[in-house]
Amino acid sequence: MALRTASVPIPRTRRFRLPRDAALGYLLLAPAGLLLILLVGYPFLTAVVMSLQKKLIGQAVAPFIGLGNYTALLTDLTFWIVVRNVLIFAGASVALKLVIGTSVALALNESMPARGIIRSIMILPWALPTLVSVLIWMWMYSDVGGVFNSVLMGTGIVERPVLFLGTPVLAMVSVIVVNVWRGFPFFVVTLLAGLQTVASDQYDAAKVDGAGLWARFRHVTLPGLAPVMAVVTLLSTIFTLNDFAIVWLLTKGGPGNATDVLSTLTYKVAIRGLELGKGVAVSVLMLPLLIVLIVLLTRFINRREEAG
Amino acid sequence: MSDATHAIEARRAASAAAPSSLRHELVMKRVLQWSVLGVALVIVVFPLYWMLLTAFDPPSLSYSSTISLLPRRLTFAAFSQLLREYDFLLWMWNSAAVAGITTLLAVVVGTMAAYSIARLRYPGRGVLAGIFFLAYIFPATLLVVPVFVILSVLGLTDDYVGLVMSYLIFTVPFCTWMLRAYLTSIPRELEEAALVDGANRIQAMIRIILPLAAPGVAAATIFAFTLSWNEYLYAFILMTDSTKMTLSPGMTKLVFGDIFLWGMIMSGATLMSLPVVLLYFVAQRFVVSGLTAGSVKG
Repeated sequence: MALRTASVPIPRTRRFRLPRDAALGYLLLAPAGLLLILLVGYPFLTAVVMSLQKKLIGQAVAPFIGLGNYTALLTDLTFWIVVRNVLIFAGASVALKLVIGTSVALALNESMPARGIIRSIMILPWALPTLVSVLIWMWMYSDVGGVFNSVLMGTGIVERPVLFLGTPVLAMVSVIVVNVWRGFPFFVVTLLAGLQTVASDQYDAAKVDGAGLWARFRHVTLPGLAPVMAVVTLLSTIFTLNDFAIVWLLTKGGPGNATDVLSTLTYKVAIRGLELGKGVAVSVLMLPLLIVLIVLLTRFINRREEAG
Repeated sequence: MSDATHAIEARRAASAAAPSSLRHELVMKRVLQWSVLGVALVIVVFPLYWMLLTAFDPPSLSYSSTISLLPRRLTFAAFSQLLREYDFLLWMWNSAAVAGITTLLAVVVGTMAAYSIARLRYPGRGVLAGIFFLAYIFPATLLVVPVFVILSVLGLTDDYVGLVMSYLIFTVPFCTWMLRAYLTSIPRELEEAALVDGANRIQAMIRIILPLAAPGVAAATIFAFTLSWNEYLYAFILMTDSTKMTLSPGMTKLVFGDIFLWGMIMSGATLMSLPVVLLYFVAQRFVVSGLTAGSVKG
């Protein structure tokens, strides 16, 4: 996977040639490279090996069982429910983040009073610890004294408290809302930066031609912003697919398996269920989808760097 | 699609609009703009307001059925209860120490690697840059179980060394990737001039390149610290001893008790947010430019 650097093309004839500093290059790279091998490479290989073993917590011997963990998972209905859940969770979250993020970025891209302050406030949910965002929403969702239920019951819309986290569909909606709340500022900031690169002379040209708001968005802004949108959407999809804290803290994957995603299933099987090998196999099964996303992402980033 | 096509399309779409409608359009645009921002601001601010309100005006244990959207009193009772009943300040100190050490290591190691990839030429550096990016987006879900097993064997669970090691998993590739973008944008000619003038590579790096990259290093530092301070999964799985806990697992202890003391939980949430929010506001210039490098976790 080669990511080309964005350096200026080097002219053929140079007055001065940089020495090829291979020795210094590798030397400076060594500490980070070594950490990567020890902390990412080695655990990853361990994960793959573990997923082929019947490895339980507290047992020294872990017999090799080939693809046993995988076949067990793939023939288990729960696993497929979890796959469906994670696709719904990530798909809906990312789509909403993209729509809200784009709208807010466009609104913030115009000159206006207090623009800097508004932008700072918009980014706050993203700067907060995930745990804090989750706790605030958990408290707002609460059926005992939570603000949503108090308002709903106070105004007579419902008679009994709504169990936001206790009914399957509502629980999924609730975790998506928290993920969107926390994640959309990332889209705002990135897209705002992307909007700076959309050439303003094109706007002027379109304006002179009398293009309306929608026409300008559709034919000038959107094509210019599309590459940035693709990168931020793919990045966010990868991170949303792996979200653990929001789902675990809010619902523990419940009620039943209604909000279980691959990360919570991994935790439940590996740590709670003591079946380390099988738990790891759950997250290894995420790799095919992840590889597709990463390949797409690499392409877009390369294209952007070549262009810019 | 070419720009020309867009221009033609835009022209065609606009041909119906008369110039006299321009003022009408401007009004419509302002209305649209402020309604989007208004709704978004309420959605962003209300939960934060609710956290502060609950922390400073905690609901009584009996949960009176009437709630007030405005504060009725201002009290530090919830904060003092939190500090009295839990080792909150210890957790906070532990979090700061772990995040601080992680950040220091990650920024130093990451700057070196980024400099190497961005500015030195040797075979394989394109592939290496790709590997760092891959490591940066590599799912923690997949690594956390093997990391837990490996650290258990080494006796490093419930140990800050183990936690710092697990935080380096994401901070080192992150800093490297982000600083690489920064360093690549510094014109090569500056360094070449220094080399022509007789400086060696390392002098050129320290005297010329690093000072220019200072805003990037600052941004990487802020992000590495924030990512570590906010981290949940590794801390939750690795740290179970309550005298060694950091804020993430510690705060979780407050929640999974029998009764939810929301005033206390929200006062903890306020204290946990304070350092990162302050850091973020103070150094906002760097944060935004860092995000623009297009490399931040969302």
